Amino acid sequence: MIRVEDLEKHFGPLHVLRGISLEVQKGEVLVIIGPSGSGKSTLLRCINLLIEPDSGRVFLDGVQVNRRDIRPEWVRQQVGMVFQSFNLFAHLTALENVTLGPIRVLGNDPKVAEAEGRKLLARVGLADKWNVYPAQLSGGQQQRVAIARALAMNPKAMLFDEPTSALDPEYIREVLDVMAALARDGMTMIVVTHEMGFAGTVAKRILFMDAGRIIEEGSPEEIFQHPQQERTRTFVGKILR
Amino acid sequence: MAAIVATPTRSSSFPLGLSRFAIRGAEMALGAVLFIILLEYVLQFDALDPVLWNLYLPVFLSGIVTTLRYLGIILPLSAAIGFAVGWARISRLRTISWPLTVYVDFFRGVPPIIIVIFAGILGPSLLPSRFRSEEIGILIGAVALALHSGAYQSEIFRAGFMSVPRGQLEAAQSLGMTRGKAMAYVVLPQALRLSIPPLSNEFAVVVKDTSLLAIIGAFDLFGSSNIFTAQVLLTPGNQLSWIFVVWTGVALVYFLMTFSLTELLNAIDRRYHVKGLEAVTV
Amino acid sequence: MAPISQERSRSRWRILDVVAAAVVTIGAIAYLADVLALRWGLNVAYISASYPGYLKAAWISVYVTTISYVLGMGIGFALGWVRSTQARPLVKVLAARRSEAASATAADGGRSDRLFLGTLMLYGFKYYVHRAADAYVAIIRGTPLLVQIVFVWSAVIVYFPRLDPLLQGLLSGIIALTANTGGYQSEIFRAGIHTVHSGQVEAARAMGLSRWGAMRYVVLPQAIRLVIPPLTNEYIGLLKASSLLIAVGSIAELTTYGRFEAFHTAHVFEAFALVSGIYLLITVPASKLIEWVERRFRVPGLGIQAPRTARV
Repeated sequence: MIRVEDLEKHFGPLHVLRGISLEVQKGEVLVIIGPSGSGKSTLLRCINLLIEPDSGRVFLDGVQVNRRDIRPEWVRQQVGMVFQSFNLFAHLTALENVTLGPIRVLGNDPKVAEAEGRKLLARVGLADKWNVYPAQLSGGQQQRVAIARALAMNPKAMLFDEPTSALDPEYIREVLDVMAALARDGMTMIVVTHEMGFAGTVAKRILFMDAGRIIEEGSPEEIFQHPQQERTRTFVGKILR
Repeated sequence: MAAIVATPTRSSSFPLGLSRFAIRGAEMALGAVLFIILLEYVLQFDALDPVLWNLYLPVFLSGIVTTLRYLGIILPLSAAIGFAVGWARISRLRTISWPLTVYVDFFRGVPPIIIVIFAGILGPSLLPSRFRSEEIGILIGAVALALHSGAYQSEIFRAGFMSVPRGQLEAAQSLGMTRGKAMAYVVLPQALRLSIPPLSNEFAVVVKDTSLLAIIGAFDLFGSSNIFTAQVLLTPGNQLSWIFVVWTGVALVYFLMTFSLTELLNAIDRRYHVKGLEAVTV
Repeated sequence: MAPISQERSRSRWRILDVVAAAVVTIGAIAYLADVLALRWGLNVAYISASYPGYLKAAWISVYVTTISYVLGMGIGFALGWVRSTQARPLVKVLAARRSEAASATAADGGRSDRLFLGTLMLYGFKYYVHRAADAYVAIIRGTPLLVQIVFVWSAVIVYFPRLDPLLQGLLSGIIALTANTGGYQSEIFRAGIHTVHSGQVEAARAMGLSRWGAMRYVVLPQAIRLVIPPLTNEYIGLLKASSLLIAVGSIAELTTYGRFEAFHTAHVFEAFALVSGIYLLITVPASKLIEWVERRFRVPGLGIQAPRTARV
């Protein structure tokens, strides 16, 4: 459902993406691992067009979407994103965060959006926090609200950019549980993470990226137990101590 | 905190909100009265001389009204200018931000009195001769003051915009919002809330700046009081100490104006404050 | 499109943007200057002939500003110190003392009573000094500088009527400016002392330093580094504020001189250009320099946001 061909991206002299191609099927969970600076975040942002690639093509459901005549906003409505730093709207309550998109972008009726929003908050386990401001929530709670907010747009797929990297250890579990439940419900997900436990159990495929290139890809067993490439081996060895 | 009653209570913290405000207000009123009594003693005048107030009160009141009228023009105008320029200055297009930076640097580097004086003199000559009067000159001076404060306010708003974390815009866009909607529903609400505290400071300065218009002939509180005291000085037989009464009264009114304005904005800030959002110095 | 050419076109946009910005900025200034010069006539001869007079007046401005600034610094520091001491809630202090008195044995009942009274008086005294300083600063910040100047001037005229008018003016100007900058500087010093104070005095005393020693070796060295940028800003602000001495009239500082020249030579625009130019020449580079220094040496999380310094 999401396909990317030969993505290239430079930031000044930095060659961040060097010809990335990948494909994700509907309902599949793809996990991308790799050292920092390897271009994983840039790749995600090219998929939902927050960043414009220098060259290459991005396909959503077989249609190329990085074209001049397609509005990036339309693409971003189809693909949701969850950020490492949560990025909850600080001036709105949890429920308002969740309903802002449906009301202002999709034009839904506020009452309907509110009801849907409450359901989503319940789904991530925060039904009673609907009236609370982000600053009063723990990191794990904020991230779960962020997931609910992205889900409120009814996306076809979800992108996760290191969703647990900024969390205190005691909150990581609750967020990963929500993500695993999402996967079970059949959501197409691309997840950049360092949480190898999650990658091992939930992912269908793992991609290893380094220095702007995909070094290796395969099932979790293949990558963790029998890495083919030297660099993969080094990285996996460091991560799985 | 009231220091008049010294009995220890079980809880030493006062409930927030109105009662704390009332206590502070009472303390300030007491302090003001004490201060005026002290001044009376040091400078030898009688603050409540009825003969003086008979003469001065109409001047006093009309001066206050005139000052408020000028404020009614300058405050909204400067805020509008400041907001527009502040927004424009964070544009990536240098073609827009550079000229505006020159505007801001000019109006911040030149003392406002000079801007007011020369706007008052030179301004009317820019208009068709029908409009060339001193009154129009004062009005142009007021506009110049608005431009002056607008330059400072643009810095405030600019800092407000830059203090909203970049991730907020990203997150809004990732929901499919256009840049415009993201600005309107996510960035602007936060930027405006952040701007309120420094803005209250700046508004207080504007209140005080209105006194500058007196130099070009305005009949605001300062101007008309200045004329009045000059007449007092020139008329033999009048007590010179009347001058101090006048200026104490004027100072008190200005103080009340700046105080209530800042308190009002502080109350607004308390109501709309976003927890966890900090302004960064620009 | 190959990646390299995309990058080149992006930097091409940047160059175009910069050039357009320069053109628009310089063009706007040139156009304005042209229009104004045409309408009011830019008499270059006048400017080149009379600018020494303006520079002399500017020097007087700087002179008066500097004197007031230095005198005001003494006031500002003293007030800032006083205002940075935290007064614990009166009722807590009293409750503590009263419970101490209650637990004392009957033998020294008289002493603890006196201790109680002494604390009450000392506390009251410290508290009121603090509040008086607060009141002073509030008045300075809440009233226009013009009113302050005229108030002081009136007092000087009434109580020193036989003094030479120039001296009267000078005295009033310096007193008013000193009082004004003292108020604003006290805010700066208070913020600086307060920023460093919390926690570090405790740590220093835990190491064995006395309260004064902690001040001297821990708080003040840091506070000094913190207050320098806002203090320099305040100097520039005071220089601009000195323009209000036009209200006194007898001091030949830059603004008074400029307005005098404008009215007596009818070269209004030239006077304006000269006066603004000189102020800009002093304030803009100085402000930019301070901004640069602040940005360069800024430690995130460490710094004071002093309130708007005196403009009027």
